[in-house]
Amino acid sequence: MLSSSTKSLVVLSAVTVAVALGAVFLGPVGLPDAYILLNVRAPRVLLGFLVGCGLAGAGAVFQGVLRNPLADPFILGTSSAATVGVMLANLLGWRNYYALYFMALGCALASIAFVYRIAQTNGKAPIQTMVLGGVIVSLFLNALVFVFFSIFYRESFTVLFYLLGTLTSGDLKLISISGVIITVGFSVSWMLSRELNALTQGEETAFHLGIEVESVKKILFAAASAMTAASVAVAGMIGFVGLVVPHLMRMIVGPDHRYLIPAATLGGASVLILTDAAARTLVPPLEIPVGALTALLGAPYFLYLLQRKKSAGEF
Amino acid sequence: MSYERDLMHSESNLPMLSLEQVSFSYPNRIVLEDVSLEIPRRSFLALIGPNGSGKTTLLRIMSRVLQPQRGRVLLEGHPISRLSARALAKKIAVISSEQSFEFPFSVRDVAAMGRFPHLNRMQRMTALDWEIVEGALKMTCTEALESRPISQLSSGERQRVLVARAIAQEPSLLLLDEPNAHLDISHQIAIFNLLRSLKSDLGVTIVVVLHDLIAAAAFCESVLLLHQGRIVKAGRPEEVITAELIRKTYGADVHVFPSPLGGFPQIAFGPASEP
Repeated sequence: MLSSSTKSLVVLSAVTVAVALGAVFLGPVGLPDAYILLNVRAPRVLLGFLVGCGLAGAGAVFQGVLRNPLADPFILGTSSAATVGVMLANLLGWRNYYALYFMALGCALASIAFVYRIAQTNGKAPIQTMVLGGVIVSLFLNALVFVFFSIFYRESFTVLFYLLGTLTSGDLKLISISGVIITVGFSVSWMLSRELNALTQGEETAFHLGIEVESVKKILFAAASAMTAASVAVAGMIGFVGLVVPHLMRMIVGPDHRYLIPAATLGGASVLILTDAAARTLVPPLEIPVGALTALLGAPYFLYLLQRKKSAGEF
Repeated sequence: MSYERDLMHSESNLPMLSLEQVSFSYPNRIVLEDVSLEIPRRSFLALIGPNGSGKTTLLRIMSRVLQPQRGRVLLEGHPISRLSARALAKKIAVISSEQSFEFPFSVRDVAAMGRFPHLNRMQRMTALDWEIVEGALKMTCTEALESRPISQLSSGERQRVLVARAIAQEPSLLLLDEPNAHLDISHQIAIFNLLRSLKSDLGVTIVVVLHDLIAAAAFCESVLLLHQGRIVKAGRPEEVITAELIRKTYGADVHVFPSPLGGFPQIAFGPASEP
């Protein structure tokens, strides 16, 4: 068990490294020169790595805590909140990268706190109520975004950028802030992987196994939401990585979060870097937004998974 | 089996679990009122009563999933409300009716979760921990299934794996909510015999919520009958499971007679006779 998981981890990291190197040669600009390599490609691959880690890691955690293998990092409304943050920054006239980033990050974290608060009854936050709260908050925030689009259509481009998701933000400072948040979120989640395993057996069962359920849940929600918010703030809404990759990795390394969380983060990084390389080379010199491409590839794959589950009698 | 032997073998004179004037209610409904009882060590107690009589609530109060509004619960003399989840899990294992098998953990992994309360954060399972897990799988005859995902097992097999997890937890007290639900008769007999051997071989105190009065009478040493949130009677099966008490609490006409297999009561019922 351990050796096979370790092996798959090694393979995944190898893929990541290979793609990081290969991305240079895959570029639409004929010969790679040092400037492009250092200032365009490297930050982009680094960003792809981080965002892939963040989204897939958060997805693995959300799927475990919500006991739903088909949950995704955006399920609690984090991404819609980040979009509203960008919109607000626009309305306030704060157009620089930093303002947009911190508004997106702040709003995403605030929305998760809000959802947790409205779900809380008698010191507990039942997961069904959280998911329902998340869906309602998302719908409301999305409606706000569309109202914004129809009134301030000239400013809507920056917001659209967030809705599509791209890895073009080359600002190393912002990438490193997100990097720190994602690393912390990952480490906390990984440290709690045994607790997460117990939570998949049901919250009462986890309590009977000695887990302080509500506090562990709160920490895990915070860690996963911080990873999601840090990814969305820097790269917008890149869908399906956080949904499909943890699911796929569960098939390879099994459901044990001690292996699943690192496998999902590295797998997410590999998938996103690969997809981004495809996104900028498929129709040169144009670029497909990587978020659109992950959805284009991810949605059919997800349907295939659903179909397989249906025929296996699991639904 | 006798009460004297239980007392002789007990490490301390304190009861395993005692409830003192416990009351529990939801905002618009009283579920339990003024329930007091003592569960001696190494006893095997069945909680019975009609639907809504409060037996599952009582079990959930014993495992601290629910906190009573009044009264207190003592585990070997210590109030359970002051124990950490981990300290509680080292003493009490629970097999509740809440079961979640969406994730394909192997049988061995699920049984190993019983060791969680005995491990520190990030601490690895030791050889001794695995030995305990193997022993639990053997006792429940699940070692042949150990690498199968639990999501693919039948409900009888799953129930046995959950018992294996509870055994691996090495509890002093084991609480079960209808462990025989959805099981065929041979699996029911197997699970009750397993529980009896846990009691006699390992000295585990067992409390089980049962709808099945026949099983309660046949396998449990003592029975506690609840009705409308109050204890009607507690005692040996033949003292509690009587035609009169069943009519009074369940409102059902049954015939109760001594079982041909031994001293315990047997119940017979049939269709209502035509007028």
